[in-house]
Amino acid sequence: MGRADSLAKLAFAYGVHLTRRRLARPRPQVRALLETNAADGIRALTADERARHPRLTTCINCGLCALAAGRVGKTRLPDLASSYMRLYARLGEVSGDVEGEGPDLVAAAAVCPVGVPLAEVAEVVRRISRS
Amino acid sequence: MSVGSPYDVVVIGGGITGAGVARDLSLRGLSVLLLEKGDYGAGTTGASSWMIHGGPRYLEFDWDTTRLSCQDAGHIVSIARNLVYRVVFVIPVLAHDKNNIERMETAMEVYDRFQPLKKSHPHRRLTAQEALQVEPGLAPDLVGAVTMEEWGVDPHRLVFANIQDAVAHGASAFNHTRVTELIRDAGKVIGVRYQGPDGATAEARAKVVVNASGPWSPEVAAMAGARVELRPAKGIHIVYPHRISNFSISAESVDGRDLLMVSHAGFTLLGTTDDDFYGDLDSVDVVEDEVEYLLQAFERVFPAIRDYRPARTTTGVRPTLFKWRRYEDELSRRYAVLDHAGEGADGLISIVGGKLSMYRLMAEETSDAVCQKLGHRAPCETARRPLPGNESEVTPPGELAARCGIPALAAMKLQSRQGSNAEKVLDEGATSRILCRCEPVTEAELVYAARHEQVRSLADAFRRVGVAAGPCAGAACILRSAEVIGRELGWSAEQRFDAARDFVRRSWLGRAPVLGRSGWAQEELAQGALRGLMVADGTR
Repeated sequence: MGRADSLAKLAFAYGVHLTRRRLARPRPQVRALLETNAADGIRALTADERARHPRLTTCINCGLCALAAGRVGKTRLPDLASSYMRLYARLGEVSGDVEGEGPDLVAAAAVCPVGVPLAEVAEVVRRISRS
Repeated sequence: MSVGSPYDVVVIGGGITGAGVARDLSLRGLSVLLLEKGDYGAGTTGASSWMIHGGPRYLEFDWDTTRLSCQDAGHIVSIARNLVYRVVFVIPVLAHDKNNIERMETAMEVYDRFQPLKKSHPHRRLTAQEALQVEPGLAPDLVGAVTMEEWGVDPHRLVFANIQDAVAHGASAFNHTRVTELIRDAGKVIGVRYQGPDGATAEARAKVVVNASGPWSPEVAAMAGARVELRPAKGIHIVYPHRISNFSISAESVDGRDLLMVSHAGFTLLGTTDDDFYGDLDSVDVVEDEVEYLLQAFERVFPAIRDYRPARTTTGVRPTLFKWRRYEDELSRRYAVLDHAGEGADGLISIVGGKLSMYRLMAEETSDAVCQKLGHRAPCETARRPLPGNESEVTPPGELAARCGIPALAAMKLQSRQGSNAEKVLDEGATSRILCRCEPVTEAELVYAARHEQVRSLADAFRRVGVAAGPCAGAACILRSAEVIGRELGWSAEQRFDAARDFVRRSWLGRAPVLGRSGWAQEELAQGALRGLMVADGTR
């Protein structure tokens, strides 16, 4: 009985929906979606960053890059890839951690055993934390 | 064997339901003892999708479950603000999906009626181009998409916050304490015998015993000759140690089920399966076929999924109510409060079925049944009283970080676990050292957890504060964590080493099914860091 009742109500809602779609003109929704969720710190990667993203997230926190270079702002280099890059929502709240001087990230990336492109990671983290 | 003073109620099971019952009853002024055989939330609760959701899926079967679920989710969101965060889904629709875009939007329009109950926004409909703009990782051949909002939650902290509040109101709660026997007298259950972590046995008398042991409920009820009938269902998740998509995403499986890729704060859960389970509840393994089933579904909508390295898998067994013939996915997520008085076990009440999103309501109804049995009149207060850490606004993370000398990210993560108690936690350890850098977790928080949160092992620490939950899976922090906990609990050097090795071995069981080629290479590197732990007796 519960299922039959549920399906009947859904069927009615479907009819109402189709009628409404015929009568109303669809409007763009992206801006409204992003604005609605901006307060929750949900930031988006761009298409280019998305394509590179699997490479940006391979850090295993072995710490070798920290021996080759120091910190990005106040943040230890391995942490940039292993903890800040994990969380690209709400990074705006911690932007102070990654601002400031940057070390030689090319040299640091050269010693990474899993090939994390650290310069790109720093760029993405900083862009998201500022946006 | 020791016998303490009698309690009004003994609660068996320290998952979310048992913790909720203990909190509810202690807020009503009853004396409560809660016993958990493992760690709090280590069973079904911790293996969930980490969501307080309203269950749009149930609209097809039972709108009342959706309404109740949304209503209770709204209460949980209010009382546990520091533990919850919005999870926004983009639900892509492909050309041959079982539901076309109009049917999918209809379902969301109906669901929108319930969304205000849990303080969520209504859905949006996106064209294919719009969907790819907000989520560039989606398959380019999608027809369109709709969005849907749910809430994410750390279930381990939610359980513990309930335990903390119960204890603050007079309850006693012990983890790693197994009930070995229900004490009966002339057809009445009058207490329990139990064994603590040190092997010592004890007895606790109570007027009512609540069986809130989830999938273990039939086993506990059988101790009193009573019967609980479940249809246990196994579910697995793949855990990625990163947020890998802008939004959470749903996908249709090869057999037409709805699967979810949920973007949580810093990690992603991909799941879940739903299969009848007949095995040993204390030894539930993930098999590679289950992993492949999930990846196959998500590859259709998020093609890059196989390029990401998973960190581990989780698995648990749902205590679903018994129903013959139904396909697993169609089984109701409703719950039942069973009074076993008619089976010669007066004084024993079982709470079975249900889901995380309705835990508070389940606890309320169970507590109502207990109070009725005891003739105790007191209203339920759990819907309006905030859980510990939510009594006041939190300090902005940057401010807390500057005051305590830790990175803002560490402060933010700490607040997501401890809420307004974060500063008190940092004061405990008198050190600002970051112990687990991936999460990140401070040494002070681990010290606090060992002193005040019943952390008795590294696995307990993983659940309570997130140690070793990140991409390195403990390679960089597990020995340091063993040192800190060992110092607090008085472990010898050998015990500290053994604890770290035991943690690595156990976590390996969840990692092995998901290691791809690059995963194995990275595992080898991690093994280098853990060499002393992993090869001590020639086993992994």
